Amino acid sequence: MSIKKSPIIENLRKMQMIELLSKERRLDGRSLTDFRPINIKVGVIQKSNGSAEVSVGNTKAVAGVKIETGTPFPDTPDQGLLVVNAEFLPFSSALIEPGPPDEDAIEVSRVVDRGIRESQMIDLKSLVIEPGKLVYCVFVDISILNMDGNIFDAAFLAAVSALLTTTFDKKIAKEDGSFEVQKCRLPTRCIPISITSITIGDAILVDPTEEEESVQDSRLTLTFNDQGFLCAGQKGGSTGISKEQLFKIVEISKAKAEELRSLVKKVIENA
Amino acid sequence: MYMVLVRTRVLPGDLLHDSYTGIAPPNTYKLGNKLFSLKVGLVEIDGKDVKLIPLAGPYIPRVNDFVIGKIIDFDAFSWDVDINSIYTAHLPAQDVFGREFSSQTHSLTSQFKVGDMLAAKIIAFDRTKDPVLTVREHGLGKIVHGEPIKLSPSKIPRLIGKKGSMAKIIETKTKTKLIIGQNGIIVVQGPSEGIVLAARAIHLIEEKAHMPSLTNMINELLTKEV
Repeated sequence: MSIKKSPIIENLRKMQMIELLSKERRLDGRSLTDFRPINIKVGVIQKSNGSAEVSVGNTKAVAGVKIETGTPFPDTPDQGLLVVNAEFLPFSSALIEPGPPDEDAIEVSRVVDRGIRESQMIDLKSLVIEPGKLVYCVFVDISILNMDGNIFDAAFLAAVSALLTTTFDKKIAKEDGSFEVQKCRLPTRCIPISITSITIGDAILVDPTEEEESVQDSRLTLTFNDQGFLCAGQKGGSTGISKEQLFKIVEISKAKAEELRSLVKKVIENA
Repeated sequence: MYMVLVRTRVLPGDLLHDSYTGIAPPNTYKLGNKLFSLKVGLVEIDGKDVKLIPLAGPYIPRVNDFVIGKIIDFDAFSWDVDINSIYTAHLPAQDVFGREFSSQTHSLTSQFKVGDMLAAKIIAFDRTKDPVLTVREHGLGKIVHGEPIKLSPSKIPRLIGKKGSMAKIIETKTKTKLIIGQNGIIVVQGPSEGIVLAARAIHLIEEKAHMPSLTNMINELLTKEV
């Protein structure tokens, strides 16, 4: 549910931001490559198969996973389904109007879906009950509870943390044709992490706030898997990125992804 | 008879006085002869007078208030100004261009663009009309440099202090200039180190506005840092 208006940032604040950027500093005192404090809570929704609530600074997202059985797509009869949906709740920001998901919300769900799919985090082939007839469908629903920039990474962390703690009742076929139900974890292979950076002039800023996003030139979201391989990306914003800048963003994002992955691992181990 | 003690915290609907004569003071209301609180606040009793100091709440415009606003929109004859209130204020183009203003010959964006900040005074406001602003006085008009900071409007008196003492301490210790709007927007002008320090002092006021030793705390913070 969302139709988003863009915020009007005071010109004075923009000037202050650009002046500080030349000194490699940001309005909230962070360095250019620092994330805001990240807080991950798993198992927040009782009735879901897996869930997580993530806050990155003031940005807050909650993800819930539901696993049901259904028919596979005709072109992939030997694979389970993954469906990711994201919504901006009307109370998440003063600038959101209620309504069906607009292109910004759809972009969030597409970027999260692509990151999870292309990193091959979920072993979809193991989610088949009867090839071509019956498979498990993994529904990931993300709600943005509060908006202060970098919705992509908050949504992605929430989705990944929820998937990592997902358990479901697996039907195992017996020889006589009946099924045995067994509780098991969702088969995952890796922990993909997405990192969003924006450029303002020559400066590269990781984890932008809403204020910074409103003055951005371009935005780049990159997803890395456990081996540090780049597996998905999304470019936004109105201007291009130079080759040098792109390589620099990849380098910074790769290091940041490693940092965030150890954080997620710690949370999952303690859960 | 007063039903509360001096400096007690009250909630909306709390009984303050059981037989109050006279008009209900601001932030209170009367039902029969009983006086009730209308806001979350602190009670100050001075002889027969009762005063309710609100601890929280939005900015309610009053005529002659000095406010700092942000241009959010404009049409052929006026600008819309966000004054951090539940009401959007208007600045008529005639106020800036004079009586010979014509929407054909004058361009509103030549004076104020969307996102610009301005210091203004409220010249008219009542229940039938949104607040109207003026910039035709000394010290009013566009603010061209500095950093805007928000503070709860109910805490602005604490930031100013007795006869401006608190604002003066912050200004001299951080070598900055504060433009304080009654609506809870403050523009800090000066060197960027000073702005960062002044912003921290203002955030401390936001957190600890109700404490009696606030001036000392601010003094300590600023002396330690300088």
